[in-house]
Amino acid sequence: MLVSLRWLKDFVEIEITAAELAERLTMAGLEVDAVEEKKPAFSGVVVARILSIKAHPDADKLVLCDVSTGDRVFPVVCGAKNIKEGDVVPLATVGAQIPGGYTIKLSKIRGVVSEGMLCSEAELSIGEDAAGIMILPGNLTLGVDLAEALELHDTVLDVGVTPNRPDCLSMIGIAREVAAITGKTLRYPEIRLSENDEDIQNLTFVEILDPDLCPRYTARIIKNATIKPSPLWMRLRLEAVGLRAINNIVDVTNFVMMEMGQPLHAFDFRFLEEGRIVVRRSKPGEPFISLDGKERVLRNDTLMICDGRKPVAIGGIMGGLNSEVKDDTETILIESAYFNPVSIRRSSKWLQMSTDAAFRFERGIDPQGQLMALDRAARLMADLSGGTICKNAINCCPKPIEAIRDIPLRVKKVRDTLGAPVSADDIVKTLESIEIDVRKDSHAQEETFLVTPPAFRVDLTREIDLIEEVARLYGYDRIPVTMPAVTAASITQNSRERLSERIKNILNGCGYSEVINYSFVTFRACDLLRLDADDERRNVVRIRNPLTEDQSVMRTTIVYSLLETMRKNSHAGTFDLKIFEMGRTYIQKQSGKLPEENNKLGLLLTGARYEDLWHFKDLQGDFYDLKGTLENIFDNLNIGSVKFVSGANEPFLHPGRSCSLMINDRCFGYMGEVHPDLLDGLDLRNPAQISEIDIDVLMACYTDVLMFKELSRFPSSTRDVAFLVREEMEGDAVISAAMADPEELLEKVSIFDVYDGKGISPGKKSVGLRFCYRAPDRTLTDEEVNKVHSRMVKSVIAHTGAVIRGDDR
Amino acid sequence: MMGDLEDLLEKAESDLRASQTQDDILAVRTKYMGRKGLLTALLRNITAVPQDERAQFGKRGNEIKETLSGWIEAALTEAGARRKDDVLLKQKLDATLPGRRTRYGRIHPVTQVRKEICDIFSGLGFTIVDGPEVELEYYNFEALNIPADHPARDMQATFYIDDGIVLRTHTSPVQVRRMEQMRPPVRIICPGRVYRHDSDVSHTPMFHQVEGLLVDRGITFGDLKGILTYFLKEVFGPDTALRFRPSFFPFTEPSAEVDIQCMLCRGKGCRVCGQSGWIEILGSGMVDPAVFKYVDYDPEEVSGFAFGLGIDRIALLKYGISDLRLLFENDWRFLAQF
Repeated sequence: MLVSLRWLKDFVEIEITAAELAERLTMAGLEVDAVEEKKPAFSGVVVARILSIKAHPDADKLVLCDVSTGDRVFPVVCGAKNIKEGDVVPLATVGAQIPGGYTIKLSKIRGVVSEGMLCSEAELSIGEDAAGIMILPGNLTLGVDLAEALELHDTVLDVGVTPNRPDCLSMIGIAREVAAITGKTLRYPEIRLSENDEDIQNLTFVEILDPDLCPRYTARIIKNATIKPSPLWMRLRLEAVGLRAINNIVDVTNFVMMEMGQPLHAFDFRFLEEGRIVVRRSKPGEPFISLDGKERVLRNDTLMICDGRKPVAIGGIMGGLNSEVKDDTETILIESAYFNPVSIRRSSKWLQMSTDAAFRFERGIDPQGQLMALDRAARLMADLSGGTICKNAINCCPKPIEAIRDIPLRVKKVRDTLGAPVSADDIVKTLESIEIDVRKDSHAQEETFLVTPPAFRVDLTREIDLIEEVARLYGYDRIPVTMPAVTAASITQNSRERLSERIKNILNGCGYSEVINYSFVTFRACDLLRLDADDERRNVVRIRNPLTEDQSVMRTTIVYSLLETMRKNSHAGTFDLKIFEMGRTYIQKQSGKLPEENNKLGLLLTGARYEDLWHFKDLQGDFYDLKGTLENIFDNLNIGSVKFVSGANEPFLHPGRSCSLMINDRCFGYMGEVHPDLLDGLDLRNPAQISEIDIDVLMACYTDVLMFKELSRFPSSTRDVAFLVREEMEGDAVISAAMADPEELLEKVSIFDVYDGKGISPGKKSVGLRFCYRAPDRTLTDEEVNKVHSRMVKSVIAHTGAVIRGDDR
Repeated sequence: MMGDLEDLLEKAESDLRASQTQDDILAVRTKYMGRKGLLTALLRNITAVPQDERAQFGKRGNEIKETLSGWIEAALTEAGARRKDDVLLKQKLDATLPGRRTRYGRIHPVTQVRKEICDIFSGLGFTIVDGPEVELEYYNFEALNIPADHPARDMQATFYIDDGIVLRTHTSPVQVRRMEQMRPPVRIICPGRVYRHDSDVSHTPMFHQVEGLLVDRGITFGDLKGILTYFLKEVFGPDTALRFRPSFFPFTEPSAEVDIQCMLCRGKGCRVCGQSGWIEILGSGMVDPAVFKYVDYDPEEVSGFAFGLGIDRIALLKYGISDLRLLFENDWRFLAQF
């Protein structure tokens, strides 16, 4: 909310600088976001009086004026029609700067010297009136700087008022805080009314059909008003706090709202059919055109202000076009009411109308403030429009709001909560400085006060609310810094957190960098990945109000995000990527319930295997690079039982270059090359290897308990054999065959060569196995090794139907 | 004759000195000590030496022979070593060419800051916990004392999923879930992704928060100040000035916003801190008794404080990143800097 310092000074004396005030308010919980100096758009313009007006000797449309600034008389040529002798006007003297970058010079206009210029409001950017010279009030001192005389200088604070402090959404509300923190006294505006003889009771009456939504409705009537622009002082105030001046009546409603925090509305009484007000809920489908000219079709729960026949305003939100104050309005009904905050909030949300009035009503205005604001507005309207105030006000209050009284506040509780030595005296002084009533509870066992906050403090209902008031005015900086004693709480380390960290470290070592993508993706992601109609990953969590279609569903797989990352990077000229992301996927298992959230690891490899071009020209990363990275993870984590089973059956993977990852017969992920048909749809140019694994499954198999195995002091013996097997037999099958009847002395079998080139008959391939033998307690003799090895070779042949290479000719 | 011997030694020495390579030295050896060498010949000619000088001539001759062969051996060793160096020097490589490596990967700046924060709080005895990101409105709002139709909901623009289900707008719901599961004392932090319906230079629809909660007997606002002061000085340095100022969160009371002095202008006011000299870094407060009611803790028995801070924002400040959105665009040129 914008706060004018000049306006504030009507209610409280301010002796500190604006910057200091901003700092003090901020430290009392009213954060000042900005301090802006308001300066006039001109300089060198002074107050002057027209002494005489003579015809210009040489031009019909110009006149020659003698203008006095008190100590000097200036000859000025002027073309305006609205001036007369004796008028007080703004004189831009020679050297003055006026808006638009003009500097006033001594000039000769058709042979007559002019020492300055008389200005219109528009020329000085004070108002919009460009028709004639601005006529100033006759009581201004001649020769005084115009900006000073009109009080155009101001300082405006932008205060961030938190939702719990609706009482601060007005100048008086802020002034009250200023008074409390600077030790000054708050002055309320004096309101004296003079009423005519016509009793409002004879003109209109108010009926509230829904007291829950409108507990209080007050009204006054002004007669014989003349609608015209507000005086400058009023316009300046409104403009300073960010409001646009409209006319003297509407401006008063806004002015009083800004001053006291009570939103008001002015109706043209002649358009209120049957001359009365009915407050009721809208009827479903009821159409209504609000002041902004938009037609709205209402639901059944919006509070409407109606006349005898039809709605004339959306209660607390906006008036209607049908009862708006017009240029020829003479009789005005002023509304000052209290509306139910929840009802206003629901309606303004639903109608998407967030007005200054609704903003205040939904936060909760002073339930006792209606009559005071009504009288203030009536007086101002009468003053500015020349109208008279009808006798009495309507004060319809079917459901008074209960005030909260005597909240117990224990001194010890204040100290225990804050950890500060706040004295009983501190408490009383602090609370009383903001108009809170404090008295001692003589019956209580411990030292207790009974506290009654003023009605406008709708946020103070409990002891803790009062403790906060004490704390913020006592000063947070005065509360000593302490460290809590550590109770022996069980500190359980989050093991998933630790596992994730280990995996990230391993991946870093493998050259993979971490990315973080949004958790939401385009609703087209499932189609782009060509997921089957019954794929579980099509059960997406949809966002009802997404920012864009590209962020409209929660992801069910991480790889789509990684492919997006790849696409964006290739557009930026980066074609080599090794990236991973750890995050969640979200699958809607049951509608209306929370989805399943799984912790996943996604990897992507595309482009060069190594970055250094001069060592490894054109070496592209492939399937086995990514597989090696995964193996590194499982190896490092000592998870030995992972199987890579060919053919992942994922529609987005190359069917011949993919595999499922199995652990204890459970599939926990996949890896492979992106299906070539997919690249186009995803706007990708280069092949990529991707993988996704379920961290939660991995977690279940992971233990950070590690046992050391004794090292053998005796050497091992190795034997290499090349087996000719059927081409389609996979490496894993050959190894499994070797392990089918394991010998005690066999330490390890590994594949050292795969070959299907020249010299190998079609349909076959050669798989070279290296057998490693070792005994824990002795050095093996050649004879021993040969014996065991020949059994091993026979076993492999028996299980695979292989032939030893070289024996096939 | 004795004079001839001494002359020969002198000549041999100067020949050796002139020799560079092993071959040159070997030639010197042949010239003086070979079968037809000068020294050999001279010594063989002992008969030409007068009788009385022969003994001395023979003794001196042998001395000179030994000296000379010693010199030659030494010269050969030295030349051999020189030759090996020459060979190795011919194998010279260009040490300025880039090394052969698998480039080490990078950790996302948000993760780095998250770890730093978690490590500090782990050291203070806080346990890391997590909770769902697609969350019940009950946990995200109601149980945190933010009723439906309350203006406080405007503080957090929300993504809605279904009736009663939202994307969590903060990590605070984990507080409630945790307190429902255990009795005090509670010391937890919860890092994670959160979501708000917002997107511009300083807002992304997804970002990261760390929530902290400490509930025990006798916890005071002074303790809140103590823990958070320690934490912020760990992250931003021991000389960091900070201030606690009153604010409003529905689930804490009294509430405090914590600012650190702007590290760029040192409090003088600049673009980064919006001329105020201070940068808002976290929100905190004493747990509101209303929240304790939801989880059946007795506010007369226990008290506590909670705080929440944006990880991304701290990463921005720490690394001088101008646009929050860069964090989630994952441009390699950005990631490669961390």
